[in-house]
Parts: sequence; C-alpha cells; structure tokens
Amino acid sequence: MKRKILLGALLWTLLITLAHIQLNVGWKELESQVLRRFSGERGELLVGFLPVT
Amino acid sequence: MTTHSESGAVFRSRKFTDFATVKEALISKEIGASFILAPLAMQLVRDGVPIKIVYLGHRDGSALIVAKDGPVRHFRDLEGKIIAVPNRYSNQHILVRKLMRDNGMAPGSIDVRELPPPEHPAALASNSIDAFLVGEPFPAKAELDGIGRVLHLTKDIWPDFISCVLVVRNDLIAEERELVQELVSGIARSGLWLEDGLEHRMEAAQVVGKHFYFQPPKLLEYVLSKPIDRVRYSDLAPLKEDFDEIMELAVSSGVLSGRIEFEAYVDPSFSQRAHRAWDLAHLPALDAEAPVAPPAAAPAAAPASADGQAPKPAGPPGKALNPLLVPAAGGKPETGGSQ
Repeated sequence: MKRKILLGALLWTLLITLAHIQLNVGWKELESQVLRRFSGERGELLVGFLPVT
Repeated sequence: MTTHSESGAVFRSRKFTDFATVKEALISKEIGASFILAPLAMQLVRDGVPIKIVYLGHRDGSALIVAKDGPVRHFRDLEGKIIAVPNRYSNQHILVRKLMRDNGMAPGSIDVRELPPPEHPAALASNSIDAFLVGEPFPAKAELDGIGRVLHLTKDIWPDFISCVLVVRNDLIAEERELVQELVSGIARSGLWLEDGLEHRMEAAQVVGKHFYFQPPKLLEYVLSKPIDRVRYSDLAPLKEDFDEIMELAVSSGVLSGRIEFEAYVDPSFSQRAHRAWDLAHLPALDAEAPVAPPAAAPAAAPASADGQAPKPAGPPGKALNPLLVPAAGGKPETGGSQ
C-alpha cells in the first residue's frame, strides 16, 4: 500500500512538472538554462544604443 | 556589437532613435544595458529605475553648431535665439546653461529646446532652430551638408566632456557579473584599439557605418579624424570627480532637482577589473638582453593608477585584434525605439 502511494505521488509530481514546463516555461528555455548551467555556455545581453556619440 | 565573444556569450545591439524609448526598454527589461546620457542615468536612478553606470561610451565628441552663413560668431550672439539639445537630462543641456552663466546671460535669454539628435541638422536647415549642441555625427553631418559650422567643439570648452555612459540593470550586475565584465572589457579594448592609429579609426568608420549606424562611412571617417581628437576613446572609467562636477552643475543649473551619492548610480568595479587585466596583458615579455630598467617610453607596464584608469597602450601593438571585425553571427543590430 505504501509503495503504491509513493509511486503515485512520484508519478503525479512528474506529470505536474512536465505540464509546468510545457505550459509555463517552454522546452527551449529549459534547454538553454540547462546548457548555461552545465556546459559552460554563457548568457546573452541585449544592449541599446542611439546612433550618436 | 554583436555575437562575437570568445567565451560564447552573445551580445546583441538594439538601435533606438530617442532616449525616452530607451528608458522604457530598461524599465520593462527588454534590454539589459544601454548607452544613455550621463545626467539621464542619474535622473533615472533618482526615479527608482534599478540601473548603474559601469563605463563611459567616449569622451568629447559633441559640438555647438550654428548656421553656416549666419551672424553668430560668439556664444553671446545666441541671446534671444533657439538652441536644440538632445534631452533635458544631457550634459549638452548643462553645458548650454553653464555657458549662459559664464557669459553673464540671464537664465531665460536663450530658448533651449529638446530634440531627438537625428533631427538637429534638418531643424537647423529649416531655420526652426538657430543652433544645436549634440553628439557626433550630427554636427559633422551639418558641416558636410553645408548647413552649419562649428562654433565650439566640446573638447575646447569642457575638456574630457562626457556625453553617453553605459548603464546596466542592477539585477544583471548582481547575477551576471562575468557577462557584464566581458562587455565592459570588450568596450575598453575597442577604445584602446581606436586610439592606436588613424587607420583603425578609418576601419571602424566602415564597419560601424555599414552595419550598425547605417550612416555613410565617409561621414564617420570625418567625425573620427577632423581633428583626430574630436572624439576620444581613452580614460573611460567612470570617475567620482567627473560625476561630482556633473552633479554640481546639473543641480545648480536646475537640470536635476537634487543630489544623489556617486555610489548610488555608479559601479566602478567593472572598469577597475578591466584595467587591471590590461596591465597584466601589456607587461612586456621577459628579454634577457633588454635593460633591467625599462625606458621611459614604455608606459604600458606601469601599474594601474588608483583611480582605475587604463594605461595607454604600449606603442603600436601591430598584431592588435580589431575588436569590431571578429566574425559576427548576426550582422545587423535589431532596431527598436521610435523609428
């Protein structure tokens, strides 16, 4: 009985996590975050300017 | 600026045409950093926008332009006339107020109008204004188009003039320090490269004119060479004494309504680290035949000064990397702001 509850809870957590990534985060964003954290890939910076010194 | 980092970091640029839109883009986190006017950065911090100045864009590089065939020969001749400046919160505006005070003119004796920089030459040509004080290349454009002539270059009336500064959002300063450092160090190296000879400036005019500013390279060649110190890219660390002077003038002329502490709007740590790194990079190679005491003309080995200013490059580097020409993945900058 305990094992069933534990497995059920784990499965539920996994499903909720996958749904959260799909609906709120996005797989592309997750991929880039993981790459940045683990593969040494660096971030991105957008810099504004006017064509004037 | 574009995707050209050796470390894999991606730097992209977004072009704007007015500073109000830049401000909104910073507040909404559309952009992480921007070149904006120094007093505007101070005012934004006063208004609670979470940014800090981390570096200067350049020094000097602005000019007071009057109608080419007009009667104005001295600043006092502008009494009762209209002068355009790029923004209320600009050092160009502060300089006009200072010149009025220095010439004994009443505060309201010149009508100072705010106008986006690209519109200055056309406004002068149509007689909508009598003069303008703005950053290059618009003064040079007025000159080359036969519309205007230089009454004063800022370098002659406010030495080491500061116009635009690099601001970065505080959350990036806290969470992406290496990324910000790479940006500051890259700009600093570009500055040293530009100061290393006229041929580098001519090369930069081609690249920037075609791929970033979308302006005729000939115009930028003129800006970067007539005279060669018309715009300067050395001594770009944000120094307290410079900003204290700006703050004092801004408050006394009514451009800013109150003071804020230097530490509240400037983070000098990135420029200090960039310049320390150079000192190591520019140490001369050990040479058994070289004299123990370096000759006086080897300033690059000198340690960084306490204020964090970079040493001048050690003679012609020869193989110096052109920081503007490293292979780019995204050639054109994005375009933003009101076009």
